[in-house]
Amino acid sequence: MTATAQPVAATPKDPPPAKPGYRSVYLWHWPIRAMHWVAGGCIALLVVTGFYIGGPYFMTPGEASEHFLMGWMRFLHFSAAAILVATAVIRVYWLFVGNRFERWQALFPFRPRDWGHMVQVLRKYLFIHPERAPHWLGHNPLQQVSYTVLYVVAGTQVVTGFAMYGLSNPGGFFASTFGWVAPLLGGHQVVRFVHHIMTWYFLIFLPIHIYLSLRADLLHREARVSSIVDGFRFVRADVDFIDE
Amino acid sequence: MYYPTAHPWTEDETLAQHLERRGVGRREFLEFCSSMAAVLGLGSLAAPKVAQAMQTQRRPSVIWLQLQECTGCVESVLRTSEPTIGDLVLDLVSLDYQHTLMAGAGTAVETAKQDAMAANEGGYVLIVTGSVPLAEDGIYCTIGGRTAKEIVEEGARGAAAVIAVGACAHFGSVQSARPNPTGAVGIRDVITDKPVLNIAGCPPLGDVVTATVVHFLTFGRLPAVDGEGRPLFAYGSRIHDQCSRRAHFDAGQYVTVFDDEAARKGWCLYKVGCKGPATFSPCPIFQWNTRTNWPIGAGHPCIGCTEPHFWDTMTPFYDRLPDVGGFGIENKVDLIGAAAAIGATAGVVAHAAVTGVQNRRKRRDLPIVEAGTVKQEEDNNG
Ligand code: SF4
Repeated sequence: MTATAQPVAATPKDPPPAKPGYRSVYLWHWPIRAMHWVAGGCIALLVVTGFYIGGPYFMTPGEASEHFLMGWMRFLHFSAAAILVATAVIRVYWLFVGNRFERWQALFPFRPRDWGHMVQVLRKYLFIHPERAPHWLGHNPLQQVSYTVLYVVAGTQVVTGFAMYGLSNPGGFFASTFGWVAPLLGGHQVVRFVHHIMTWYFLIFLPIHIYLSLRADLLHREARVSSIVDGFRFVRADVDFIDE
Repeated sequence: MYYPTAHPWTEDETLAQHLERRGVGRREFLEFCSSMAAVLGLGSLAAPKVAQAMQTQRRPSVIWLQLQECTGCVESVLRTSEPTIGDLVLDLVSLDYQHTLMAGAGTAVETAKQDAMAANEGGYVLIVTGSVPLAEDGIYCTIGGRTAKEIVEEGARGAAAVIAVGACAHFGSVQSARPNPTGAVGIRDVITDKPVLNIAGCPPLGDVVTATVVHFLTFGRLPAVDGEGRPLFAYGSRIHDQCSRRAHFDAGQYVTVFDDEAARKGWCLYKVGCKGPATFSPCPIFQWNTRTNWPIGAGHPCIGCTEPHFWDTMTPFYDRLPDVGGFGIENKVDLIGAAAAIGATAGVVAHAAVTGVQNRRKRRDLPIVEAGTVKQEEDNNG
């Protein structure tokens, strides 16, 4: 691997043994892998608790003093949000110190040739001449865009979320730091609305993300999934990669 | 009970003399002063200061303008079933020029207003209810042949303080809701060269007006305000955080339709559109109609009337979230979101099925070879 800058985390010396005809490539350092799973867990928890907060689908019977269902939902929601922000800090840091698959440049496939590639990848997924599409070690342009959008959506969720969180303590840190959000969007209800509707991006993203990852693994035996577990990806030795 | 008289507080009387004449005892007056100190968040130690300032106070000059409005604010502020000492203080509102209450009419009262403004130049308090229509040179609200904009600008020029009472004066209220045909705006959009204090609400609580006036009389300045120009002592916390139904909110107990069992039990109104979580107002504490009740107490969700542009931003009043514009009320955001998510899942399943069919066909056509030795024929990107 020819990294443009020296990554902070060490690249493992010995890759796991590859089967004949394959080689293994180190893609993701452990902070990125850890961040992926922690953030994924947080987002799952945030979606479940968030939909409860947005429209409580369970009711508790009896006396109010015996229950704290919404209270717990909000507690879990806010805690998961705090952890998600912590992972975001790591991710942002890694945008500048990671290898070239992890750096900020990999989020923006907007050079002229990327556009052509994006069309080719799209056609591949539509079963139109899949053999013509080039190959990537890291993320292909379509992946890059969808992950960048995911970051933007998550960022919007964090900002709108903190803006609403600040309401309970006017004059406090969150109220004053994120006080500009509601006037910008046109009121607290619009903030709620944006926060709510953005959640669906995660639910649209998830099946596609899992399917395409598993598809690469199962169909092409390329160990995409393993790359986000131990960092290594197995690729066929006879294939050329655009981002080699 | 203290009933209003035609000329409640005369020019040269101090407030103490005035209250004494109206039959208010010293003890009651001090009680009133401590309650005002508490409302203003000053603490009980400040009560003597309030009392001292209030009793030596001579009647200030107050000019009350009514523009594009429904008079509900005036009713809320000046009329209660049992007038209190607070209402007597509000008797300071000059009856010489108050559209709803004045006896005179026509040129006589317009001249009286001009005289009052000239005599108290720089010292009077300007209270405004109602919005200012700006469309078509302001022809949608004219009084005595002059537009609301001219009147309010003239009034603010010599005012020591400008207090906008009610949602209309705050941001334009219902007449400024989309599409706002008259171009109605709040007072702060017209008077930009001095601070405008907003006593928000449709209508606002009379107690907040009283307390604001007491603050002005005691300290000679208006109370501290939030980003909306609303006095912090009243609008400093959310309805949701002071609500008597909050325990049910935290417990997960909600009214789903009006008149269900949960509604009878007094559970939280969150699911029927309560905007308490986004609304800053002292309603739960001050309450209405001499503290008889308040909307949420009576089983109606808060509609968020102290927040700017609530007719546009807080609607639909009986739903949690705004509608998706242009899709009609049936198409809620969750329906669209769920359709997209299910569509994505279905697309993925279909894609997998097509892949399976293609592979089977390919396997039938091609000789079986060892993995890893075959020339790359397929893509490999997840
Ligand atoms: S009724 Fe409204 S303000 Fe009260 S707890 Fe429920 S949501 Fe909050």
